[in-house]
Parts: sequence; structure tokens; C-alpha cells
Amino acid sequence: MRIKLQKIGDVLVSRPAGREAFLTISAYNLKDLKEDEEIEIDFSGVKVIAPSWADEVITKIAEKFKNVKLLNAENETVQATLKTLREYSDLKI
Amino acid sequence: MENSQEKLAYEWITAEAGSVDVASEFYCGTRDVYDARFGRMIRELFEKRGNDASIVSAVVGEIANNSFDHNVGNWKDIPGIFFGYSFSEDKIEIVLADRGRGIFNTLKRVKPEIKDDQEALMTAFTERISGRAPEKRGNGLKFVKENVQSKKMHLNFYSGTAKAELNDQMKIEENSENIKGCLAIITL
Repeated sequence: MRIKLQKIGDVLVSRPAGREAFLTISAYNLKDLKEDEEIEIDFSGVKVIAPSWADEVITKIAEKFKNVKLLNAENETVQATLKTLREYSDLKI
Repeated sequence: MENSQEKLAYEWITAEAGSVDVASEFYCGTRDVYDARFGRMIRELFEKRGNDASIVSAVVGEIANNSFDHNVGNWKDIPGIFFGYSFSEDKIEIVLADRGRGIFNTLKRVKPEIKDDQEALMTAFTERISGRAPEKRGNGLKFVKENVQSKKMHLNFYSGTAKAELNDQMKIEENSENIKGCLAIITL
């Protein structure tokens, strides 16, 4: 399953927006998938992402699924956000 | 306060409740109003300073959303934030202020041993802690600190009688004025 974050927006900030995104992704993309299903999170087209949003989406997906891959994650805020989540939110990917 | 935007923010946050200028173009009474202005800021920032726009926008987003996340239902008097920005080819300045609970009041709920505003600011910028515990959160100001340093921004962050000055290092000192809420001035 590939999740293209740009379909949600190219500016991904705030926890309320992240929570809403996670609920939508859970209902339409992740429902009934097994925990070992491969989940690809694609950051292409994302201009701004912040750890509050990502903690509600990326961290939660990574807690739920064992095989999560990050694609096109070169953007400066993507890298900075992932660094913060790994350091302060126990993100393991 | 050095320039008009900072001065306006300072006046906004220190005014008596009945004198706060809620008609100001910088006032965002709800998150929806802030989100719309934030979106406009991002567009302008990408046009004028594309190389810096992404990280600067994320830093602004974290500070501004903290104001709403930690104060909704608990504003001291006036809900919402002051949000001003100005960009030129050689300078970015963004000013954010809220008349909320302030960092000390927010954090002492979950860490009662914090004794004053300065210790609260140090905790907020360096420890994994959130005033909204037991929710697992509290990474926003750590992200702000690290990226202010890596992007060579300058941040003055005031709350209560404490001031944190961040650039390549962080210095926390007493501030002569008591800022009831939070005031952040970002320059690059």
C-alpha cells in the first residue's frame, strides 16, 4: 500500500490536521491490512511538514505496521521532522 | 522592541484586555484565520526566499500551533494570536504572540518541580515533555531549537519574566517585562 501524502496537502502542519489525516488514511487506506503488510509513505510534492503533524500520522502508522518504508523523503523539512520524531517520539524507521 | 511589527506585537500582548486591538490585521482570533494567513505567508516566502521557506514555515507552524493547542478553552482573556511577518531579499522577520497561559503555567501542571519562568523555558526547549500529558507529544520546541540553529535563524522567545535567545546557542535570562503568554520573534 502506497500513501501519497501530497494527496492530503503540500503543507502538513498541526496536530489537529494530522489527526484528521490519520483517521482518513486509517479508514480508506489501511483498513483490514495486516500488520506485516508493506506500507510505503511517499513524501514527493510535500513542501512543508512539521513534527506535530507527522507525529500524528507517520509515528502512528509506524507503531501499527511492521514494514513501513519512506519514499522521496529528501525535502529539508521531511528530513528535519523525521530526525525529531526519531529523537523524541521513538520513531524507529 | 526594535521595529514597528515587534512594537505592535508587544503592545498587543501587554495591553489591558479592554484595549487589545482585535481589529488589527495581525490578529487571528481562531485557528482557521491563522491557517489562511499562514498559507499566504508560505506562498510569499517560497516566492522570495525559496531556499529558506520550507524550514522557516515549519518552525512558524510549530510555534503558532502550540499557542492554539495549549490555550484553547484557557485563554487569559483574548483568544487567538498575533501573527505578523515581513520579507525582503536580505531579511525575514516573523512575530507571533498569544495571551495564553504561558510556558510556566502550562508545564508546571505536569512537572510541579519547575520553579520559575526561566526553568520552564529551559525545560520546554530541551526536555521531552508536554503540558498536554498524558498525550504523547512535546517535540515541537525541540524541533524549533534544532532548526533555528541549523538554519542560522535568530529567535527571541519571551514568556513570563523569562527570555530565551536562540541562534547557534541558547541563552535564557530574566526579562524586565512580564509577558503573560508567549511572544516569539524570528529573524533570518
